[in-house]
Amino acid sequence: MGATVGVIGAGTMGRGIAQVAACAGLEVLLHDISAEALRDASLRIASEVRSNAARGHFPEDQVATALARIHPRRALHELAESDIIIEAAAEDLELKKELFRSLDRFARPHTILATNTSSLSVTALASLTHVPASVVGMHFFNPPMRMRLVEIVRTGRTSDETIKRTSDFARMMGKTPIICNDHPGFVVNRIARPFYGEALRLLGEGVSTVEEIDRIVRLSGDFRMGPFELMDLIGIDVNYAVTQSVYERSFFEPRFRPHPIQRQMVEAGMLGRKSGKGFYSYG
Amino acid sequence: MARSRALPARGGVFITGDSPLVMEYASECERARIATTVRVNSGSPAKTLSTRGRAQRVPSSCSIAVELTNTSLDTKQKNLRELSRRLAPGRPILTSASTVCVAEQSQWLTPPRQLIGIAALPGLLQGRLVELSPGEGTGSAVLAEAQEFCRKLGKEWALVQDSPGMVMPRILCMLVNEAYFALGERTAEPSDIDTAMRLGTNYPRGPMEWGERIGLTQVCAVLDGLWRYFGEDRYRTAPLLRRLAGASARER
Repeated sequence: MGATVGVIGAGTMGRGIAQVAACAGLEVLLHDISAEALRDASLRIASEVRSNAARGHFPEDQVATALARIHPRRALHELAESDIIIEAAAEDLELKKELFRSLDRFARPHTILATNTSSLSVTALASLTHVPASVVGMHFFNPPMRMRLVEIVRTGRTSDETIKRTSDFARMMGKTPIICNDHPGFVVNRIARPFYGEALRLLGEGVSTVEEIDRIVRLSGDFRMGPFELMDLIGIDVNYAVTQSVYERSFFEPRFRPHPIQRQMVEAGMLGRKSGKGFYSYG
Repeated sequence: MARSRALPARGGVFITGDSPLVMEYASECERARIATTVRVNSGSPAKTLSTRGRAQRVPSSCSIAVELTNTSLDTKQKNLRELSRRLAPGRPILTSASTVCVAEQSQWLTPPRQLIGIAALPGLLQGRLVELSPGEGTGSAVLAEAQEFCRKLGKEWALVQDSPGMVMPRILCMLVNEAYFALGERTAEPSDIDTAMRLGTNYPRGPMEWGERIGLTQVCAVLDGLWRYFGEDRYRTAPLLRRLAGASARER
């Protein structure tokens, strides 16, 4: 009998994590308060796994087994038997606090309580439970099926055993874990800030244009994508929100200060590829 | 160390500055079969240059000069003044603008010279493109010669406005700086930082690897130039980066 992963939230991240876990052979208990969200998630996961199989990315004869490993659960306490519970609810501190208080009431002592937050304090969530040693950040990247990295976030109270077991779960799911402390933006969202921040400043100062900066970064620096193409792909609103969060959580460290161009793009509804227009036009 | 060979034929390039940059530019020129004479800054470690010409003085016969000092404004100023004196008027001088803008460099020179800024940082010449920024008084004929030089090296170019660090050195050095802040604050181990950035953002290299490739002294020089120009806290160097750059300079 394989290990059981509880996933809270059937949105983009939760659904993706559930799919990754099920395809890696783990039993998945997928929880969402909305029955419709759960139904929708099951349908989307099934269609994605089937299309992956059709393209040769997943063994055809294992599709049904993998999908059968995902068990929708309407009640949170039904996740109690999980070896690890990964919370992937909306990025709202009050909501996550409520979830962690509930988890604390029913989770078994040995269950790892992980949060997929990218911008909130793992430490603050851990302190709401009686088992802070078992609370850890497990930051997957979007889309979870394609992105290999998982940041395993340690608070001052996370035990070494929890870090080790969480890293093992990430590996079982075919991911590459890295370990970091609970600092604003963890590693990726923090160190990537200047890639966008300096590009926006160069644009704002009139040193070069969107197209030229992207071309320089691609051809001179060998990056796969320039900063503006990448912001369009990520979503300018999402990128702006991450910047704001790292800036605020670092007590307004000037290196992380957002740029007025970002806010203006968001205000104009120019959010990148998803809105058809960002720094470039699409479609 | 090899002694200087005969000076190159008229029409060659003279390259001077920080040794890692001089070496990199010289070997690219050699690959492109451009007659090259080099001189590295004193105090800058000189690897053996067995096949290339070395010169103590700037050969007046050269048709284009490249000044690649990032680590000392004094040396850069001395080099540029010498190039300006020795090179025939109207000959282009390409100068690294990774740490100081072209406008400021122009003020060092009387009579004024036609300068073209270039984004020089160790490792960047491996890319397919070079950034150029012509100074205020630089005419199109001189710029065309600089572009011809790039073309001979097999590079595309992009023209950018005059600003210290131009585009790529500024972005890269700020990435390395942030990685060293994170490392100094014990956010993660160096190898995990590189893995995270390669897999999490698809960067071709992690920032620690970039830092080693560029050289921490060079990274500090670019950041110092940005800090001096903008006077903003965001360009201050990570304490650990500064400390390790000092250590690596002493080692050399």
